[in-house]
Amino acid sequence: MKSMFKKAFAVVLAAAMLLSLAACGSYTADNTEYVIGVSGPLTGPAAVYGVAVQNSAQMAIDEINAAGGLDGVNFKLVAVDDKHDATKVAANFTTLMEGGMQVSLGTVTTAPGLEFTKLSNDDKVFFLTPSASGDKIPEFDNGFQMCFADGNQGAVAANFVNGLGLNKIGIFYKSDDPYSKGIFDQFKANLNKDIETVETVFTAANETDFSAQITQLKDCDFIFMPIYYQPASVFMTQAKGVIKNNATYYGCDGFDGLAGQIDLATIPQEVSMLSHFDSNAKEGAAADFVKKYTDKFGAETLNQFGASAYDCVYAIYNAMKELKAAGKDIPVTITAEELYNLLEDHFTGDFSYSGVTGNDITWEDNGYVNKAAVKFTLKEADK
Amino acid sequence: MEIIETIINGFSLGGTYAMIALGYTMVYGIAKMLNFAHGDIIMVGGYTLYVTLAGMGNPIMGLILAVLVCTLLGVTVEKVAYKPLRGASPLAVLITAIGVSYLLQSLAQIIFTSAPRMVYVGGQDGLGYVTIGDLKIQTHIIITLVCSVVIMVVLSLFVKYTKTGRAMIAVSEDKGAAQLMGINVNMIITITFAIGSALAAFAGFFMLMKSPSLTNTLGAMPGIKAFTAAVIGGIGSIPGAMLGGLFIGMIETVAQVVPGMGAYTIAIEFLVLIIVLLVRPTGILGKKRREKV
Amino acid sequence: MKTRKNVKPTHYINYVVITVAAIVLGILSLVGALPASYQIILENIAIAITLAVSLSMVVGFLGELSLGHAGFMCVGAYLGGKVVYVLSPSIGEIPALLLGFVVGGILAAICGIIIGLPALRLRGDYLAIVTLAFGEIVWSLFMNSSEESFGGALGMPTVRIDKDYLFIIALVVVLICLAVTQNLIRSKHGRAITSIRDNEIAAKATGINVTKYKLAVFAISAFFAGVAGVLLASSNYTVQSQKFNYNYSIEILVMVVLGGMGNINGSIIAAALITFLDIKLQTVLTGELAVMQDLVYALILIVIVIYNNAPGLKAFREKYNFKNLLAKVIKDKNDPSHARDDEAKWDRVPTKIQMDEVLSVDVQVKSPYTPDKAEKGDN
Repeated sequence: MKSMFKKAFAVVLAAAMLLSLAACGSYTADNTEYVIGVSGPLTGPAAVYGVAVQNSAQMAIDEINAAGGLDGVNFKLVAVDDKHDATKVAANFTTLMEGGMQVSLGTVTTAPGLEFTKLSNDDKVFFLTPSASGDKIPEFDNGFQMCFADGNQGAVAANFVNGLGLNKIGIFYKSDDPYSKGIFDQFKANLNKDIETVETVFTAANETDFSAQITQLKDCDFIFMPIYYQPASVFMTQAKGVIKNNATYYGCDGFDGLAGQIDLATIPQEVSMLSHFDSNAKEGAAADFVKKYTDKFGAETLNQFGASAYDCVYAIYNAMKELKAAGKDIPVTITAEELYNLLEDHFTGDFSYSGVTGNDITWEDNGYVNKAAVKFTLKEADK
Repeated sequence: MEIIETIINGFSLGGTYAMIALGYTMVYGIAKMLNFAHGDIIMVGGYTLYVTLAGMGNPIMGLILAVLVCTLLGVTVEKVAYKPLRGASPLAVLITAIGVSYLLQSLAQIIFTSAPRMVYVGGQDGLGYVTIGDLKIQTHIIITLVCSVVIMVVLSLFVKYTKTGRAMIAVSEDKGAAQLMGINVNMIITITFAIGSALAAFAGFFMLMKSPSLTNTLGAMPGIKAFTAAVIGGIGSIPGAMLGGLFIGMIETVAQVVPGMGAYTIAIEFLVLIIVLLVRPTGILGKKRREKV
Repeated sequence: MKTRKNVKPTHYINYVVITVAAIVLGILSLVGALPASYQIILENIAIAITLAVSLSMVVGFLGELSLGHAGFMCVGAYLGGKVVYVLSPSIGEIPALLLGFVVGGILAAICGIIIGLPALRLRGDYLAIVTLAFGEIVWSLFMNSSEESFGGALGMPTVRIDKDYLFIIALVVVLICLAVTQNLIRSKHGRAITSIRDNEIAAKATGINVTKYKLAVFAISAFFAGVAGVLLASSNYTVQSQKFNYNYSIEILVMVVLGGMGNINGSIIAAALITFLDIKLQTVLTGELAVMQDLVYALILIVIVIYNNAPGLKAFREKYNFKNLLAKVIKDKNDPSHARDDEAKWDRVPTKIQMDEVLSVDVQVKSPYTPDKAEKGDN
């Protein structure tokens, strides 16, 4: 086809050039605000998590700015889409850096987060991720998590199950998801070897029909499901009438958001989870957050990812405020590396934060979070 | 007992794939294009159903509206994005189909956000069970299977015995000759798209009847599986699409039941596909064609 | 290979442009004048060009539709990437990378031959689906690998080569890929390959070894896809297998089709522009605007494809085609060397991808065709 170098391409080229010019316009390298960067899935199948983080972090920043920012200096959030794809992170990270990012929320999901961890370590950028829960995310000094690490969640869940005195449990997990697989591996490793397990898996390619797995799990009284709420809601809906009514569905923090998906009253089984946040919270900081969020963005995208992101922004803000109060100089043009040195010391020091996802949250030297995991019973089993 | 249950589950999954593949194979066989946007038309049907259920609460009304919206959408997409390319390389049309697919997904996210929506076609408690002896078969499986068989038969009869249907065959065999015989080729292709899209609406209805969670990527993966099913069955063959769908569903279910194999479902499924195609290079029911020199 | 008599400067323009770009940008980069984000865009563009040119061999010149190009890339990225990762502490990054290219490329080429075998028996969409199946099998196998071997769901750690010069290496890879592809296509072997595309039976009848050529094209194409995979692995700290699913193969196919079938320069331009557009949309449309990315991308895609291919717009296209205008100024349009290689007219030759050949409809054929008996109207 000869007619290829055509005007149309010229038009695209022109459009692309315009876009790149626009890029120069929207970011400023010499900051007039503190810039917080985050990379997350804002489109594609995982978008609901990225959007929740973006909304909540923006909400926290708007609140902080409305209250005068940090001694009159405002914060700005730049959220870039990584489509849950690690190969998109390098472009995002360099663009964020060129846009003046000083501190980061890392990534929303674990897979791209593994890339982000190393890139941010090269450039010494402090990040506190709301939801990238992989064990290797805080691999270097600059990485911190607000969520529980997968391995820890798996181990805690296994200890809980060991204490129940069951002979046989069912497990339902997603084998191609680092979150689900990560929890499962540690759960299995820590589970009492006397307990017989029925393991069933699914993958991203077959997320709509779980009848084969449900049939295998129908004799289990206790089913451990380290998965996110969307497949969990499908599973519970399809399992009605097959899985015993007095069975228990037990999940980790990924379960949060279930109540916004399905009417749990119609699920006969018990549904409970080990988590740091319950979007059904009726009191305390969590309930305040839920109300503010739903007033602004509606209930559809409300989940623990958002709550955690909200806390991340406030934790960073509080830390910076305390540092300033302690006489440290944090000018608005501070470089990412300078801020990293300050924040890293502070987070591994005696800094503690209380917010939506827990009280007196502290961080270990290796970046893992230290806070209480609460067992929430979302619904009791029908009698 | 377990074997019977697995077979029923296989039919359950296969029924949905068959339903999608029927729509796919119509467009594929007659307009001769890989309509990568077919899965996204299913998604649009799903959202229509969601809006209707939220507004009126009547699933049958929802199905009717979904069929109307999808048909309209299918015809519009065909007119705007595919028709100008008639006569150009089929791969060019493939690319616009991919473009349309991105476009629909993106619009759906803009309108309905990325949050999954729950669509309960049969009410929150589902449609219940039919009990035969010790066996409990979910009603929706039976409805899906019966409907896909009915649709398959109706389509086959339509194609064989109506004037429009025979014109479709003519167009698929040789567009130029069909035109010479006085067939309005453009009209026939438009009708094909209308039928294919209406079937997509049905497919969306049956998919949501089984799995109530609706997002803007609802149709993407099932679309590819249905394409596979259509090829396995023999491209353009209506009973072949049905058979291919059931076949794929059955393999997938069996792979999930065999211990340790669940994570390899996709690999097994596609491996079987390759083997089938090596044994029968034009699919199970595909017609062998001699190459003319 | 005989020396060609009709060597035209246009045959070498793409080498010149890419070499100049590599030198200029390389100097800029080494003195620190090239922003890091542009280094990353350049890496991605080079990877995309390698993929598009190599896929173009199969789709554009051999005429078989492949939907599994990312599968070959996956093989290269994992196996070549592993070689780089294991060897770079002992022999240094660059020698390890070169070795990685060789290993990743060769292993991908072996897979290419394996997939080329069904290509001898299957055609059109049936082959397309087999390649798609291959791609899906490959990535899902790596997805389920153990954590010690290939990292499983968490992905495999790789060595990230310094971005200051990785894009220069990548552009050199592009040049090598171009040299191999263009020299092959312009040789007698290339004419044999295009003749298989245009009419396989006629090609067989003239004594062309169809089996050999088909396998060779699949192998070479897969080799460069594997090399591109190693490049991708080396431009990141991890490789994650779900990246290599059918969507990625389709992305590459879009570049080839948009560039014009069998038009290597077109593929290069399309690959560069799509990659640039993609990354720019991703990094410029931030926050709430992110949902617009796919919308903009899709609209641009649809408009360009319709504009470039619609038969109805042909007159308009020819009027406003700057290449034609350019050709009038620079050279005689009837120059035979001009139409020979890069510009096979896909829309005018009946090819296997026109699905008529493989189409079957469930209608009863009253008198089945037999080869012995000439059919009415069959010529």
